[in-house]
Amino acid sequence: MKRRSFLKVLLTVFGAASFASFAYPLVRYLAPPGGSAEDKKVVIAKKEIPAGQSRAVLYNDKQVIVINRPGKGFIALSKVCTHLGCLVEYEKDKNALSCPCHAGTYDLEGNVLSGPPPRPLPKIPLKVEGEQIIIG
Amino acid sequence: MSEKIKNWLEVRIGLDELVRTHITEHRVPKNINVFNTLGTVTLVGYLIQVISGIFLLIYYIPHSEHAFRSVQNIMTKVPYGWLFRQMHVVGSNLMITAALLHLVTIFFMGNYKRPRELTWVGGVLMLMITLTFGLSGYLLPWTQLSYWATTVVTSIPTAFPVFGDFITRLLRGGDIVSGITLTRFFALHVAILPPFFLMLIMSHIALIRRIGLSATPFGRSDEEKRPLTEFRKKTHPDGHPYYPYLFQKQLLMVIGYGMVMFAIITFTPTFFFPEEATVPADAFKTPENIRPEWYFLAPYQMLKLIPNKFLGISVQIILIAVFILWPFLDRHQEKNIFKRPVLRSVFIFILISLIILMWWGKR
Repeated sequence: MKRRSFLKVLLTVFGAASFASFAYPLVRYLAPPGGSAEDKKVVIAKKEIPAGQSRAVLYNDKQVIVINRPGKGFIALSKVCTHLGCLVEYEKDKNALSCPCHAGTYDLEGNVLSGPPPRPLPKIPLKVEGEQIIIG
Repeated sequence: MSEKIKNWLEVRIGLDELVRTHITEHRVPKNINVFNTLGTVTLVGYLIQVISGIFLLIYYIPHSEHAFRSVQNIMTKVPYGWLFRQMHVVGSNLMITAALLHLVTIFFMGNYKRPRELTWVGGVLMLMITLTFGLSGYLLPWTQLSYWATTVVTSIPTAFPVFGDFITRLLRGGDIVSGITLTRFFALHVAILPPFFLMLIMSHIALIRRIGLSATPFGRSDEEKRPLTEFRKKTHPDGHPYYPYLFQKQLLMVIGYGMVMFAIITFTPTFFFPEEATVPADAFKTPENIRPEWYFLAPYQMLKLIPNKFLGISVQIILIAVFILWPFLDRHQEKNIFKRPVLRSVFIFILISLIILMWWGKR
């Protein structure tokens, strides 16, 4: 290999290595830190959500809606529409959850009824202990 | 005194020759029209944004707990703060209007055709950056409208498998739009986008000067049909001098731009401020009937109409790619759109579709 070609290869290798050694820290710097592994449970009194009502709570920095479904009990669902991230609202008269942005609707199990949402609303673990609702 | 300064400059930088070659003896096509001034109008619009933006920076606080209040203070307490904020907000909308009109007229006159493909690509990229300016600046007042419009737009990458969620988290700095998103968008708006935009402006102007202005196809015959085997700068030896012929047209249009801006600020000061733009951001409540700015209404409505999210966003990306690469796709030699019925019909169809989508999205 000629000296000039060798220098070109060397320059390319060192250039690529320099770029990579800068690009990796940059991506790590810009990428948000991972969520906290600690699962912080949220506790609400049952009487705070009468039948046919809902309440928004923050669970592990995520917006969650807890609904007291008449005759079916409590359920906790992600409040974030799976289409483009707007917050769904519980509509008692329609027995559904609807998104104000692109009119997506979900049933009270979180399944998509109509509109553009690609996935159901994720269910959040919930249990009822005595007079308390424990989310998480 | 002025003669002394002139002489001082003349012996150092050759002022006379500079003025002669670039202004008084620089020739432009005889059939040049006011539509050829829209690029200059957009450039002046950008300068107004830079100046008013720098003034706003003095009082704006890029923190989620203070941003809304600081903007309200600019509007109500800082002397003439309202003027600079209005100039910035109204100016951003007018600048985008001017840029869109510029692109539409360039397309209509066929001036994207060879050898000006790169000028077109640079222009469309500048439009993209201008829209990103609009989007990033939109969040900064930290209102309900800005918060939820940003939530919607930053959710778009989630339609793509593997990297989608990561890109969304990268943009937001977390799972949801928060104070971290605000500082990211602030950095994007005032520090990251401007140098890229400046580089594109410089290369755009350099290309226009290097290649030469294209005559419109409606009057004189154009030279673009010659075989492209060597570089030849297009000059217009029989044309008018740039100064005063085109310069006066540009000045007239810039004055018109300023008049429209101040007419809006004076007579309809709330034109660009819907109700949600005056309410502080609430991460727990998405407002009813949320709509983005008018220039995002057409893609927003398309997302509503196409039921599959991935498909809806993919269609838009393909349309943008076609728009950017159009000079390479349109190989037809004829420049005059009036002699190309198919292209003319498609052009009118797209324009009408966009207007209908905007109107529909606004409802």
